[in-house]
Amino acid sequence: MALTGAAVWQLSGGAGAAPSAGGTSGQQADGYSGLPHTLVQVSPGGCGAGWSSGHTTTGLQVFDISNSGIAPADVQLVEPASGAVVGEVEGLAPNRSRPLLVRLAAGSYAFRCLQQDVDAATGPTVKVTGAGTGAGQGTPAVVPVTQQDLIPAALAYQHWVAGQLPGLVTDVDALHSAVASGDLAGAKQRWLTAHLAYERLGAAYGAFGDVDDEINGPRSHDTGFHGVEYGLWHQGSTTGLEPVAAKLLSDVRGLEAAWPKVQLDPAVLGVRAHEIVENAIEFELSGRTDYGSDSNLATVGANLDGTTEVLTLLRPLLISRVPMPRIDAAMAAARAQLTAAGNTPLGSLTQPQREKLNAVFGDLVEQLAPVASVLEVRRTQ
Amino acid sequence: MARDAVGKNVARRSVLAGALATGAAAALTGASAARASTPSPAAPRGFHGAHQAGVLTPKRRVAAFVSFDVTAGDRAGLADLFGALTDRVRTLTAGGVPEPLGISAPPADSGVLGPVPPGGLLTALVAVGASLFDERFGLAAQRPVRLGTMPAFPDDDLDPSVCHGDLLLQLEADDTDVIANALRDIARHTRGAMQVRWRIDGFASPPRPVGTPRNLMGFRDGTANPDTTDTRLMDQLLWVDAGQGEPAWATDGSYLAVRLIRMLVEFWDRVGITEQERMFGRRKDSGAPLDGQTETDTPDFGADPTGDVIPMDSHMRLANPRTAQTAEQRLLRRGFNYDRGTDADGNLDMGLVFCAFQQDLERQFVTVQKRLAGEPLVDYIRPFGGGYFFVLPGVRDANDRYARGLLG
Repeated sequence: MALTGAAVWQLSGGAGAAPSAGGTSGQQADGYSGLPHTLVQVSPGGCGAGWSSGHTTTGLQVFDISNSGIAPADVQLVEPASGAVVGEVEGLAPNRSRPLLVRLAAGSYAFRCLQQDVDAATGPTVKVTGAGTGAGQGTPAVVPVTQQDLIPAALAYQHWVAGQLPGLVTDVDALHSAVASGDLAGAKQRWLTAHLAYERLGAAYGAFGDVDDEINGPRSHDTGFHGVEYGLWHQGSTTGLEPVAAKLLSDVRGLEAAWPKVQLDPAVLGVRAHEIVENAIEFELSGRTDYGSDSNLATVGANLDGTTEVLTLLRPLLISRVPMPRIDAAMAAARAQLTAAGNTPLGSLTQPQREKLNAVFGDLVEQLAPVASVLEVRRTQ
Repeated sequence: MARDAVGKNVARRSVLAGALATGAAAALTGASAARASTPSPAAPRGFHGAHQAGVLTPKRRVAAFVSFDVTAGDRAGLADLFGALTDRVRTLTAGGVPEPLGISAPPADSGVLGPVPPGGLLTALVAVGASLFDERFGLAAQRPVRLGTMPAFPDDDLDPSVCHGDLLLQLEADDTDVIANALRDIARHTRGAMQVRWRIDGFASPPRPVGTPRNLMGFRDGTANPDTTDTRLMDQLLWVDAGQGEPAWATDGSYLAVRLIRMLVEFWDRVGITEQERMFGRRKDSGAPLDGQTETDTPDFGADPTGDVIPMDSHMRLANPRTAQTAEQRLLRRGFNYDRGTDADGNLDMGLVFCAFQQDLERQFVTVQKRLAGEPLVDYIRPFGGGYFFVLPGVRDANDRYARGLLG
């Protein structure tokens, strides 16, 4: 530990910025001692100093990026023509060095340095030539997404949720009425409808805040939907459930009333695009949140609806950044498998059915994982 | 179980095992061209070769046996699965710098083995079950002719949830983190196409104090294995070749019987030593046959025709009568001990992942198994799972992949 710190300190203080073949203790600490290393300095006056045409190589290599400024910096290696990023080091502290591992195809690159409260600085364009790695064979270059880029999708999503909430309130109101009047069969049916209406709003939970736990907390059946569910299915009557349903109704009415004032953080949309399905696997396909209704598969269907909505809104940003056809195919496969399984209780699925379901949803989350990566908000200016 | 085969050349074999570890086998099968980093000195051989590693290679300290059901919808999906498996096992075996993905995706590698996983840490083997050749992928005509579904033998108590499977992965390493990383990586790249059906982890004990490692009954297991350095013998006993009526793609494959065998160790520990030794036919301390002095002594059944020294129904004698007629029934045992918790009685669940490689299941494993039916040892063991699998031919070079001959 102490050795590593000392080595990094030396590296960052070193004036010599010539490309190095590796071998210093600092480079060994990163584990990439077998690869070509280039020392690159980041400072307010010089972004990318130490790398220049004539000292380049294609293929797998490491840039040891050292922040010799006085403020933390984000450093990106970009293709200057498109602004696409092939690699980045985020939040690099002053007097610290970190390795940036990339595979470079032949082409033109530059470092872009973003220090707090300072305009972005782009270093000299460096032309990389060499054999062995043709165009398109390097680390994928992705045009970063800014906060600005995500605002239209966030507003549209906010609008979509606003359109869903009155229906949710109506459904919960109907549930409450059935519970209050002692109509067990009616209450069960209306519970399903109302719960699915809520589950469709998967990307908004974060914005709902703590009340989401009250409404739909997966770990308890004291309150909210699962409180009513437990009572209806386990005790087989509506006795004593009216206060729980009334609280639920008041919570969703509160959501509806507060929603116009909510400011949805645009940065969360990309994360939710894959987290909705992650949560569906963790809490629904596992049966973890079944408190008697055996409706997990229907819930997963509602979660897919919510994911579809988010992907639809994000599609313009995603189309050039991730393989959308594969995501679309994985979504379709998940939907088809869910349809084939029908709304049967999880426990009655055959082993082949269960394996198929696990396979398509497992594949779907793998395909969705890059969405959050490419939609992470990054500064470019 | 501690099934015996003809004992010979054991001393020579242990000498040659060292040569195997330092690259003799790599020379035999062609060293990996795709290796991205320096292999560790312990690496028995590279990934590429006519035969897969994990059959003749020395056992490593820990192993996982993971049976999968293929969920891919069609033949193209199955071919993609074998492509992905080849790519991942090749990469995991070779080690090297994980591919940087920039901001396009989460990291390609878990990092469990450090930023640059060393090469040579993993030995992996891929085998397929009879169910892969059902109607789903149109492969019925390509089924290895001796591959069927493992039946329940008379002394078995099989649990269907830990039997069979479309595909079996045998992962071996000297440290458990390597296994965990490999399985996680492979699952990540194959999630849509296959799902785990059952899994059991095992370990190979070190020699105690010398000789062949012991099983959890305290007896040496594998003493009389055929000499794995004898290429001609391996061709006679293990490898599938042209002229055996097998489909052409199956050449250089082998058959694997996996048997999950619980040992009722508490019960066993309450049995006297003489009775224990008479059940195996060997001394517990030295591993010597009851008519011999050392582990490597060959029992002389001819001199003991009525079983006064080595009982007629002892495991060793039934498993391998050491006659000219039974020589072709020998198989290569390569099992691992397992230890995994307790049962409702509070008894320990431990035993053996019995693995036997051979050329012909019926001629070898089944014949021996039938001879063992009702042996005294069956009271102390409970076979509860496993299956029959066909070990795919090796991946020969950087352009080859698992099951290329089967799927094109």
